[in-house]
Amino acid sequence: MDCHNIQEMLSSYIEGIISPEESKLIDEHLSACSKCKEALYDLKKTLEYVQNLKDVEPPEWLTQKVMTRIRSETEPRKGILQKLFYPLYIKLPIEAVAVVLIAVTALYIFKTIQPEIKPAKAPSEHKVVIARSPESFRDDKAIPKEKIASPLARNDKNELISQKVPEAPSPVAKQVEIKPSAGALAKEEARPEVLGRAPKAKSLAETKGEILSFTIHVRDVDNAIKEIEESLMQHGAEIVKIEHQDEKDLITAKIDSKKLKQFISKLKDIGEVKEKDMDLGSMEGYIEIRIEIVRK
Amino acid sequence: MREKERTIANKDAELVSSCKKGNIDAFEVLVKKYQKSMLNTAYRMVGNYEDACEIVQDAFFSAYKSIKNFKEKASISTWLSAIVINLSRNHLKQMKIQRNREAFSIDAPVLTDEGKINVEPGSNELSVLEKLEKKDVQQKVQGCINSLHNEFKEVLVLRDIQGFSYDEISDMLKMPEGTVKSRLSRARYALKDCLKKVTGEL
Repeated sequence: MDCHNIQEMLSSYIEGIISPEESKLIDEHLSACSKCKEALYDLKKTLEYVQNLKDVEPPEWLTQKVMTRIRSETEPRKGILQKLFYPLYIKLPIEAVAVVLIAVTALYIFKTIQPEIKPAKAPSEHKVVIARSPESFRDDKAIPKEKIASPLARNDKNELISQKVPEAPSPVAKQVEIKPSAGALAKEEARPEVLGRAPKAKSLAETKGEILSFTIHVRDVDNAIKEIEESLMQHGAEIVKIEHQDEKDLITAKIDSKKLKQFISKLKDIGEVKEKDMDLGSMEGYIEIRIEIVRK
Repeated sequence: MREKERTIANKDAELVSSCKKGNIDAFEVLVKKYQKSMLNTAYRMVGNYEDACEIVQDAFFSAYKSIKNFKEKASISTWLSAIVINLSRNHLKQMKIQRNREAFSIDAPVLTDEGKINVEPGSNELSVLEKLEKKDVQQKVQGCINSLHNEFKEVLVLRDIQGFSYDEISDMLKMPEGTVKSRLSRARYALKDCLKKVTGEL
């Protein structure tokens, strides 16, 4: 065995972790080789140096620092993350819901506004209403008393009338009235709002000068006056004055243009109405009407 | 003696199992118990006290995070030491990269026409040794350890300073015992040569 091999084994030899045979071989070599002996001495000395190295002391803050870091970064880390993202957990769904709500509201408003444009610009519809047969009015007659309670109901009726007209005026019409479809109701719901908003005051001033005149021929004047008065009240009209002249009686009243159609139809039940050609659809707000009652 | 070791091992096992259940206080006991040996391992590896402190903190932190992966077969001290050795290795690699970068930037004009860097590694080493000669023995030994290759350094630190068995070291470093032995041998000879140069006589 040469010196190189021996020196390679010396490291293990020092620690006594080689086989007895190898140990014996090395012992023999060492006794003869001063070079290897020196190497062994140096190695032992080196090991001594290393093992004599003094341990460094950890700084006092080390444990604390380690533990603070562990406590703040492991367990409360979730807390920190939650703090950062907690608002988002709420915010995101709220925002999502808000977006949906806005979309739905916008759609709803859009849908409710749209049909309002039609009745305002379709005067033909009203003419149809006026030209209805007396038969269907009779059906109407009973209803206002029940429905007058709420404006919703009144509007509802309005709708029903226009619905009914295109169909043949027959007993079937009554059924249509009794079972108003949900769709019609919903549509009408927003209607007073839309219509009643701005125009009221403005159109009042605008249409004030315009007076609608009717002439009604009846047999019994006194009775007719009573009936007209009643009907006016039922339609929410304000009676301005009742004049008695030689050959006729004159009732002046203010009535909501929306109820005018109904009122006129009622009037036709009472007697023979002559009306000047007028565009009922273009009127808004309260309109002044003058009814002349003439004996037949 | 052996019984004492066993009770220590049992105690450690208890602490570890309560750490696994999320008991931070149990971990604190382990930190207090092992911080010194971990600090010394790191210090001998990187040769800088402040850096060693950083490494130990990181080691304990990552140990806590991965304590669930710790298998009771090994002792907690070998497990922790393995982490410290790993982090020290990474640290040394980073330092080397940093030093290289600095060398390149500072010594940029030294580039020769052939594009080779005109830096003599020998001269640098010499100056380190010259500096070491003026220091005390402790610093000389540490300086020589610092000059060792990382793979030699770690076996020397684990065996001759921390006193782990060959078996434990081969587990920690994931290499066969034969490799540990031969590396250790070379590490000791390299250290011997360095010390001889620094101290003149052993």
